[in-house]
Amino acid sequence: MKFDSVIVGGGLAGLVCGIRLARAGRRCAIVSSGQSALHFSSGSFDLLNALPDGTAVTNPVEAVAETIRQVPEHPYARIGAERFATLADEAAALLSETGVATEGAATRNHYRVTPMGELKPTWLTLKGYVYSADAATLSWRNVALFNAEGFLDFYTKFLADGFQRMGVACEVHTFNLPAIETIRKNPSEMRSANIARVFDREENLQALAEILRRETGTCEAVLLPAVLGIDRYDAVERLSEALGRPVAVVATLPPSVPGIQTQIRLRRCFQQAGGTYMLGDTAVRCEMQGDRIAALYTNNHGDIAFEAKDYILATGSYFSQGLVASMEGVCEPLFGLDVACAADRGAWYDRDLFAAQPFETFGVRTDDALHGLREGRPVENLRVIGAGLAGFNPVKEGCGAGVSMLTALEAARRILEK
Amino acid sequence: MTKQFDVIIIGGGATGAGVARDCSLRGIRALLLERSDIATGATGRNHGLLHSGARYAVTDRESAEECIKENMILRRIASHCVDETDGLFLSLPEDGLEFQSKFVDACRAAGIRAEVIDLKEALRLEPSANPALIGAVRVPDGSVDPFRLTMANIIDARAHGAEILTYHEVLDFIREQNRIEGVVVLNRKTGEKCEYRAPVVVNACGIWGHEIARKAGVTVNMLPAKGSLLIFGHRVNNIVLNRCRKPADADILVPGDTISLIGTTSSKVPFDEVDNMYVTADEVDLLLREGMKLAPSLAHTRILRAYAGVRPLVASDDDPSGRSVSRGIVVLDHATRDGLEGFITITGGKLMTYRLMAEWTTDLVCKKLSLTARCTTAEEKLPGSREPEAEVSRRMISVPVAQRESSIYRHGDMAEKLPNGDAARRSLVCECEEVSVGEVEYALKELDVNNLVDLRRRTRVGMGTCQGELCACRAAGVMAGAGKYCVQRAKEDLVQFLNERWKGMAPVAWGDTLRESEFTMWIYAGVCGLSNQKTE
Repeated sequence: MKFDSVIVGGGLAGLVCGIRLARAGRRCAIVSSGQSALHFSSGSFDLLNALPDGTAVTNPVEAVAETIRQVPEHPYARIGAERFATLADEAAALLSETGVATEGAATRNHYRVTPMGELKPTWLTLKGYVYSADAATLSWRNVALFNAEGFLDFYTKFLADGFQRMGVACEVHTFNLPAIETIRKNPSEMRSANIARVFDREENLQALAEILRRETGTCEAVLLPAVLGIDRYDAVERLSEALGRPVAVVATLPPSVPGIQTQIRLRRCFQQAGGTYMLGDTAVRCEMQGDRIAALYTNNHGDIAFEAKDYILATGSYFSQGLVASMEGVCEPLFGLDVACAADRGAWYDRDLFAAQPFETFGVRTDDALHGLREGRPVENLRVIGAGLAGFNPVKEGCGAGVSMLTALEAARRILEK
Repeated sequence: MTKQFDVIIIGGGATGAGVARDCSLRGIRALLLERSDIATGATGRNHGLLHSGARYAVTDRESAEECIKENMILRRIASHCVDETDGLFLSLPEDGLEFQSKFVDACRAAGIRAEVIDLKEALRLEPSANPALIGAVRVPDGSVDPFRLTMANIIDARAHGAEILTYHEVLDFIREQNRIEGVVVLNRKTGEKCEYRAPVVVNACGIWGHEIARKAGVTVNMLPAKGSLLIFGHRVNNIVLNRCRKPADADILVPGDTISLIGTTSSKVPFDEVDNMYVTADEVDLLLREGMKLAPSLAHTRILRAYAGVRPLVASDDDPSGRSVSRGIVVLDHATRDGLEGFITITGGKLMTYRLMAEWTTDLVCKKLSLTARCTTAEEKLPGSREPEAEVSRRMISVPVAQRESSIYRHGDMAEKLPNGDAARRSLVCECEEVSVGEVEYALKELDVNNLVDLRRRTRVGMGTCQGELCACRAAGVMAGAGKYCVQRAKEDLVQFLNERWKGMAPVAWGDTLRESEFTMWIYAGVCGLSNQKTE
């Protein structure tokens, strides 16, 4: 099989890169094993919340130069401070074009409400999700918070406490529907994605609207867990209309319904642009010719080779197995690329799980053009993007989605400019 | 205000709990004080091996005999804590067969059934055993859940009138001339200090007994010996595997609940480390290397976590250098030994002999109180083990089978007390270990749970492959919902719980364990936005 570009990994980075290339007329294939970090999405996309030294960031565009100065091998250094704002806007526009409508700007972080009622800075938040512009207030003074009865992955008490700290009165209610009751019969099925599927059916959404109408009282807004449909995107709007007041949702514990929805929309967009998405397939080995990749082989396609002018590695970090840690060290299993990693296992970890973990900054080494390095030499037709890159801590710096999308666009730009 | 008891027991491990139970069964008004939660010291940090005594048969006949006797007693009185797996002593080529015949003779002399079996038969019984084995002996080893065992003792002690106070730390002793008359205690939950008085105080603090004895004004020379273990992600073996040689490092692989454990290492550590033990990379390497010789599949089995306990080795009184240590039971009557009335130290021994240690201690307490009541703990079954599981299961027929079996497995005949009548209570908090909302509520109400780590000891929440990744926040939500604590405290508790899990995962955080940790970090530090206020 011959393509212009073969992308390994179908998460946020792989899809954004694929969409950009396919729209430019390139014949693209994405090989995706299925799940990605999008399945744990918070409903927001972070660009830069803190400098590597821990200093909080309010304006990512302004702070990127200092980030690069502190960590010269940071993925944002490959993009450069000058192009950073342009690519960030391009990423936001791309999301919006695929139907993933968001609010927020790269020049000013706003604050999402976490499932635990904390406020966390972020760049873009999906429309219909609760956020605060200034980390101190919400748009409402009193709200009604609803949860599905028996749904344990959504913490009304924690959220109500968080709202109260912002001076927002919060009444807590539960709702129940026969369709949800059916799910509860099997205790391990009572999870966000299963509840969301219930609301893909119109009659269930209407039944929910009826309950909310009956029980909301005089509050200014109605808040719900983000479980209102997997294959529909109008639920919040529809409920708002039905209730005649704002309705908004808050993310739950995984699986992340907003993340799954985002992945579905990006994938459709990629396919509509002519891309080939190979779901449930895993790239297992490659054939090298000097400093170039000659072919790629996958599980499902056996000895049928994938051949392309350009290859893009977007397989993520440990969780997605783009990086594999063993007792001896950390490796990139597909191409055997060089990995930046502390030699002594004792130095991989901090004893406080919530501190900056050194292992999070380990990753694939690249040159300035994002070519993966193999024994110190760039692989000429391979670019590396996303979470598998070395030099950043997505959790502490709050830059995971930004690194994924911006390096994806940067790699696509370089390929298209060649 | 000072409260009066007949006996005060310091230490909520298996021994302390056993003494509290024995005393209460004999009609003695007992108070048990534990500075943390039950089973937090060496009791909860060992193999959970129901020794047959075979391991000691060659080197320590007395211990071996004690073990086999207690082994048979525990099978009877604590059946819901015991898994009757049997054990194999494997001879590997590097061990030779010379030890085997000596071993079998010594076992039989100590009253331990020891049966040399055919190599093929050994591999049929335990397919995970190293196929290179050259000899195999079958013995009546098993596994025992130390948390459950301690809890059952606590529940029975309380049912017979004992008062059990966890998170109560002994700060000082009330001393009148050459007599201990009580203790000054800090309630660590409220910060309040109070006094309790009793004519006899028992020091059952394991390695911490060294310091407690010092506070009482006497010296007990103890040597902290660290033993590290690894927990594997599933039950690799169904029969306890031992090496048929003189006891050495990492030569026992024990199946327990859903996992298997390899251990231990042995090294002297200073006293200032005993409260916070970290397993080192070298210890992990050694445990894996030796473990693979027993069961080669350990090489590619996921390691869930590593942990370490501290054995209280006691130096003989006539050897203050501490070179000659005893692993046997040590009961010290400080009246005869040091001229200090009203103070007893019980130490040495092992989890296997906790009941016998409690019996000897209570005999001495009785003597001091001039009582003649006889010990009945070898006959009286513990709560949870009083009815056949099949019978309990029949009565709980309306509960879904996986939940029913898990709760009976964990709580024995007490499982019926779990509220599980409605769908809300049957919701699962922990999928790895099938812990329901009802079981969590029961633990909160009946089993004296103060935080998520306590809850884990009582229900196994967070002990499965995910190590608390999803169940921890659900459990914190249920606890906050039940009014156990406020939201702020719930979040701090979550952070502490996850860090406690991480402490055991970090030494083995590669492969899937690192993937799991990364996921946990994304969820809690990322999606949920939690942070550790203590370090920030």
